[in-house]
Amino acid sequence: CSRSFLEKTPQGQLVTDQMQTVEGCEATLIGAYGLLNGNLDGTWGNYASAPSQWLFGEVGADNAHKGSVNSDQPNMNQIELHQVTSTNDNLEVMWTRCYEGIARCNTTLFLLNAVQNGSGAKFTAERAKEVEAEARFLRGHYYFFLRRLFKNVPYIDENTSTTEAITKSNEGDVYPMIEADFKFAVDNLPATHPQGDIGRPDNIAAKAYLGKVLLYLNRQSEALPLFNDVIASRPSIETLDFDDNFKIATENGPESIFAVQHTINPDGSGDNANVGDMLAGFYGSAPVNCCGFFQPTFDLVNSFRVDANGLPFLDNSYRTNPYKSDFGLTGTAKENYALNQTIAFDPRLDYTVGRRGVPYKDWGVMPGDAWIRDPSYAGPFVAGKHTIFETEFAANSVSGANYVTGLNVNIIRLADVYLMAAECAADANDLDEAKRLVNLIRERASHLPGVSVNGSPAAAYNVGQYTDFPTKEYAMNAIHFERRLELALEGHRYFDLVRWGIAKQVIESYSAFEGSILSSFLGITFDASDEVMPIPQTQIDRSGGGLKQN
Amino acid sequence: FAILATSSLAHANTYATANLEPLAVSAASFYSSNPQEMTITGTVVGKDNQPVIGAAIQVKGTSRGVIADEKGAFSIKAKVNDVLMISSIGYAAQEVTVVAGKTTYNIVLDNSNSTLDEVVVTGYSSQKVKDLTGAVAVVSVDQMKRQPVASPTEALQGKATGVQIVTDGAPGATPIIRIRGYSTINNNDPLYVIDGVPYEGKLSWLNSADIETMQILKDASAASIYGSRANNGVVIITTKRGKPGQARVNLDMYYGSQNPVRSRFPDMMNPTQYANYLFDAFRNTGDPAKAPGQEATTGTNYGLDPNNPTLPEYLLAGSATGQNVTAADADPSKYNYTPKNSQTFYQITKANQKGTNWFDEMTQNAPIQSYQLGINGGDENAVYSISGGYFDQEGIAKYTGYSRYNIRSNTRFSFWNNRFRIGENMTYSYEEFYGSGVNNNTPGDYIGEGSPFGFAYRIPTIIPVYDIMGNFAGSKGDKLGNGQNPVAMLYRAKDNKNTRNFFFGNAYAELDIIDGLTARTSFGMRYENYGGVSFTYPNLEFSEGGTQDGMSEYQGYNKEWTWTNTLNYKYEKGDHSLNILGGIEAINQKSRYLSAGRNGYFILGNLDYYYLDAGSGNISNTSNGGVSSLFSVFGKVDYSFMDRYLVSATLRRDGSSNFGPENKYANFPAASVAWRISKESFMQDVSWLTDLKLRAGYGITGNQRIPNFQYLRRHQTTIARANYPIVDGKALSSGFWVSDYDNPAIKWEQLKSTNIGLDFTIANGSFDGTLDWYNRKTTDMLFKVPLPAAAVGMGNSPYQNVGTMKNTGFEIALNYHYGFADNKAFQFDLGANFSRNINTVEALAPSVTQQTYGNFRSLTTTILKPGSPFGAFYGYQTAGIYQNADDVANSPSYEGARVGGLKYKDISGPDGKPDGVITPDDRTVIGSPHPDFLYSLNINARYKNFDLSMFFNGVQGNQIFEATRYYTDFGSFDGAASTRMLKAFSATNPSNTTPAPIRTSNDYEYASSSYYIQDGSYLRLKNIQIGYTFPTEKWLGGRIKNLRAYFTATNVFTITNYTGIDPEVTQTPSDYPALGVDFGVYPLSRQFLFGISAGF
Repeated sequence: CSRSFLEKTPQGQLVTDQMQTVEGCEATLIGAYGLLNGNLDGTWGNYASAPSQWLFGEVGADNAHKGSVNSDQPNMNQIELHQVTSTNDNLEVMWTRCYEGIARCNTTLFLLNAVQNGSGAKFTAERAKEVEAEARFLRGHYYFFLRRLFKNVPYIDENTSTTEAITKSNEGDVYPMIEADFKFAVDNLPATHPQGDIGRPDNIAAKAYLGKVLLYLNRQSEALPLFNDVIASRPSIETLDFDDNFKIATENGPESIFAVQHTINPDGSGDNANVGDMLAGFYGSAPVNCCGFFQPTFDLVNSFRVDANGLPFLDNSYRTNPYKSDFGLTGTAKENYALNQTIAFDPRLDYTVGRRGVPYKDWGVMPGDAWIRDPSYAGPFVAGKHTIFETEFAANSVSGANYVTGLNVNIIRLADVYLMAAECAADANDLDEAKRLVNLIRERASHLPGVSVNGSPAAAYNVGQYTDFPTKEYAMNAIHFERRLELALEGHRYFDLVRWGIAKQVIESYSAFEGSILSSFLGITFDASDEVMPIPQTQIDRSGGGLKQN
Repeated sequence: FAILATSSLAHANTYATANLEPLAVSAASFYSSNPQEMTITGTVVGKDNQPVIGAAIQVKGTSRGVIADEKGAFSIKAKVNDVLMISSIGYAAQEVTVVAGKTTYNIVLDNSNSTLDEVVVTGYSSQKVKDLTGAVAVVSVDQMKRQPVASPTEALQGKATGVQIVTDGAPGATPIIRIRGYSTINNNDPLYVIDGVPYEGKLSWLNSADIETMQILKDASAASIYGSRANNGVVIITTKRGKPGQARVNLDMYYGSQNPVRSRFPDMMNPTQYANYLFDAFRNTGDPAKAPGQEATTGTNYGLDPNNPTLPEYLLAGSATGQNVTAADADPSKYNYTPKNSQTFYQITKANQKGTNWFDEMTQNAPIQSYQLGINGGDENAVYSISGGYFDQEGIAKYTGYSRYNIRSNTRFSFWNNRFRIGENMTYSYEEFYGSGVNNNTPGDYIGEGSPFGFAYRIPTIIPVYDIMGNFAGSKGDKLGNGQNPVAMLYRAKDNKNTRNFFFGNAYAELDIIDGLTARTSFGMRYENYGGVSFTYPNLEFSEGGTQDGMSEYQGYNKEWTWTNTLNYKYEKGDHSLNILGGIEAINQKSRYLSAGRNGYFILGNLDYYYLDAGSGNISNTSNGGVSSLFSVFGKVDYSFMDRYLVSATLRRDGSSNFGPENKYANFPAASVAWRISKESFMQDVSWLTDLKLRAGYGITGNQRIPNFQYLRRHQTTIARANYPIVDGKALSSGFWVSDYDNPAIKWEQLKSTNIGLDFTIANGSFDGTLDWYNRKTTDMLFKVPLPAAAVGMGNSPYQNVGTMKNTGFEIALNYHYGFADNKAFQFDLGANFSRNINTVEALAPSVTQQTYGNFRSLTTTILKPGSPFGAFYGYQTAGIYQNADDVANSPSYEGARVGGLKYKDISGPDGKPDGVITPDDRTVIGSPHPDFLYSLNINARYKNFDLSMFFNGVQGNQIFEATRYYTDFGSFDGAASTRMLKAFSATNPSNTTPAPIRTSNDYEYASSSYYIQDGSYLRLKNIQIGYTFPTEKWLGGRIKNLRAYFTATNVFTITNYTGIDPEVTQTPSDYPALGVDFGVYPLSRQFLFGISAGF
């Protein structure tokens, strides 16, 4: 027997030596993008890591209910009710997906260094910078997702050995490193998408993301010029169509700053599609026939009500005599329910929420309970920004599982940047500028055609302009409200509330209102500890004492 | 037909066993021709004057020997004063000295109870039982075959001390076999050596009827000759050999019925009971908004009277549910069963007001049958044994089953006056598993949460099996939960099929180079080709059902060759007996697997149509493979002096492709000694003591059974895991990720074991027994230490050598035999086995304080923790039920604790001390899946032509995590409820054990706790058999050599306190196996069968 008898080669895999090439490094970088959809493989189980952050960002706030039935995914109830313990599996899902993304960025950077210092073919200096900037942009993104949810997270980069990483402490803030990564991306990413690939962030995306991070650090004055650069690089917002952000045909349009690209695999399966939002596929006789999660709250729907001037009820008086669709009706009253088309609503409502009697995309008129799993638990509404047109199913969803779609999810879109810029302006007491930005968003909303029922509008649609931001407080309140309306169900709400320091007040007030209709949500208390999630217990157990609980 | 002692070998003709023959039989005349040598002839008969066919005649001190033919006649060359040793199984050995002038010797052998002279294979060589120095269990193959099972491992249950078998009732199931406990957190399956060829895997392909002998090497001193793969023990199997003589034909067949043990089916509430239970659950929330009798709470099925639920006539008609169904809704003309279109689908289902017993509906009495035909014979230069068989077992779960066809051929030819021998052993088998969870090689589909049995615990009893038109009914409706109709699942899986072609065998050659020195080479081959298809059908009757249909198909093969070369030298002179063995062995393995699937077939359910090309969507395909190799050098020395002092030493050096350059090779030494006290002169007067032997051994074995290439960091690209539509958001670009992290220092797991044993035989074999004590310590345990995501993301953590596990225990086997030595009309044996093993995980990796696993919804059942046994159950310790508000206020409680809810012990807090509140810190070890001891009792009796055998098997002191209570005992889940809950806590029934139902779920209440932990002890009358042997001597001129008919009942009764469906709960695959967690097992059936065995 020769010595080589015991030397075998891995099957269907490559070892690191074989990856230390330009192509190997580029392919690893593609892999680093591959985790943006929050999914390693398969479709089920990636809900918490959805790029839309619907679970933490929306169910964990006042915009949405978990939905389905009470006993389904009970750990999500804990998130909705702010009773999260360290063993909640959703925490583990979020944590592991983000660190896998980070590992891929670090492997890319490691290989880049090996290639550039090796003896074989090298990257051009220009592409080397780009590769590094792309990898660091992505790493910044994954760390940002972790940081704002868990606060204390261990920082691993391409220079950390696996052995060190195991016991790495989570003490110390990672924001400086996130900032440095985005700063590097701003300095090194070109004005256009690298390689001409639509999925790669350009310089504008890096500026927007850096600005967002700075805003989370309350460094508004540094963030504002970055936001202004972004705004200047794109058409003015009122010329763009609000709904284009949520349609397959118009995704990656001028409003998209950085988006997670979702697609159906060539074999028709959904691993690279939007699996994070799949549970939000409707139940019952809806054409997608899924699970019925992620239902908009009464509070959110009513916040779209407007006064005679087309302005929202900033004092929360929209909660008086709330609109409840057919909720609570029984028997023939329910059967014969007719939509009240005289309620004054912001038209964005019917692009954000599906409600009985109103046409939903090209799916037909939303029939009410027939699309809902348990209306008595989580209300009569369905969400509207994550679904696609039935005519698009064939090419953009998984056959037989049409709730898994190829629709992109925007991480940052232009309206988000306008409203962040408005916050910065208001913070600097430039209330006119803040008002101008908010009004542009509202102007765009006013262009939105209302949804028609039998030839007449489904509501008395109206969007008015603010005439005055009399005080900074008023301005901030108006910006906060606008942010809720414009970005509803896009995963921002919980993080905004925490960032603004008003989470306790808003959520407890919301609970009193929502709970008066749906008893399951009465009596929610929000403590300071609910502003960050516990570190997943399993990760602590594996870290040899490195990780400390929040 | 003879009933043999528990530890004896039925029909074993040891002198015909291929790889031990060179030691025992070789004609030496041709090179030691001596003028004084003469030809001795004679016959060997028993006391009944019948020839002892195959009796061995050997010239003492040489390897020269012959075998008596079918008339008992023999012929051998010997010199004057040579001693002839005559032996045969079941007879006392005899020695005859050749005297001058006498060339004919007619020998009468006495019957014997003693098994001491049996020769057993113990690893590349063979030994007499009396010369064993290690812990070797010799299995009574005859006893084993009385149990009608597909897999020989299943029938091993209770047949040897220290061997635990856990099995389930699935057809063709592959039971778990554990020898002396769990030695590692990895794969604990033993190594099989079949006709000298090592084999790792499941044994269902091997026909029990083909087995001639089975030995289990339990301790390192016996097993370490198999070095790197012997940690979990070695099971040595030899298959049936030919014997010289006329062709003999044996026919064995049985047919019987397997009946579900219906009395053990879980009792679920009927719809009326359930409705009241549901109403209580809402009432107990104390929240007027959640009062029962509203659509928002109890739904449409039970009416709107908050105090008196009524049952609906219909559950579903189109989109109308429960009592809202109007006569117009239920108009049968609206019925529209369109399985692929959820929008036009219109089903009408009546409520089953009496309640459906789902366990009854999904099970059946099922036939089991087996037919075996064997022929064997030959002459002194060539022997053959050929057999064929067919086995068929339908499952007690409907639409499941298993069948097997097998053929075997063993032949041996000798040349040059028996100095050179060649031969082969070959098996081919074809197996078919069909129905739900067909691939029983990977448990998981056919048991557990997603299996039909799992769903039978979840689906409400008010749902009927069929709707008004005879299509399947289901949980679609109002608040009927998300259980699937288990009958529908079984039916839809009826065409799922898994097939396996299995070839296993070897060819060998042996040459006696000089007297006592034999070279042997053997080339063994295993080739396995398997494949299968499975189908998916739309299931819109199910609340979470869909319209998907599909078919997937797979194919794969495993190929392994083993080339073994040994040199054996045997020397006997005077008081000295020496045996030296040296060898080398190379093993090379390769496997490849391919699968593909599609959905969207134009028509459904037509098997002639289902080919991949006909599918329209979800086109998937995958393939993967593996390679590995092993190279070994080994040696063994056995020496005995005066038959009294025995010493044995082995050393094996193994090299494996599983390890990197740093640790490719490892050595596995072992040594053992034995002292036959009964041979000492001071014991000669103790006449009642036939034999007494003290044994002690120590050795090191290894384990290398981990996935390949742990020493290399590996990068992988797959569409699913690393691609991204970077270019245009549509077309995917290929990406890579690190799928497997590396540990370059990975090395062999080691097990150091000490064994001390005592063997005794009393009163000329009437009473014998074996005692063994052992201590097994696994170090450098191969542990896939789960690394934090910060270090490895979602990649696979590499195995590391960390942690230690200890097993200590003792075993007692006792046998009593009556009436054999003097061939009485009434004969019987009594055998009892007792084994105790204590398992402890002593240490884990430094970075891992504990590791919980067995995650199942919000349950985490199991923990790895130093100081606790492997697979210990983990959760809260219950402390009764909160009796009143004061109790809640004054006892440690959790957020949301309530009167009537489970109360837990305050065990710890963030600082490691009880802190007055219940948090996850209070979870602790709450039970162990390991039994305190195993025991079994065997009774065999014969009176004239009648025989009777009974076999009891018992397990004591283990616990079972009855995870099905998650559904049936906690009101949070829409579904079925156990009748246990009729005794739940209430104001009028202050139970301190059963929580009151409640609908506002608090996950503390249904979290893993000792509420789920149940006593798993049982005693089972496993088998009873009554047989009658017909007096055929005068039938058809004696052409029928023997004819026996028998009746067998299996799993006759079970005594247990366990509340689940069956106390035998196999392990659940997980990161590490979750032992004894009952997610819904496939229960064992009671079997009744009738069989005939005949010889011609």
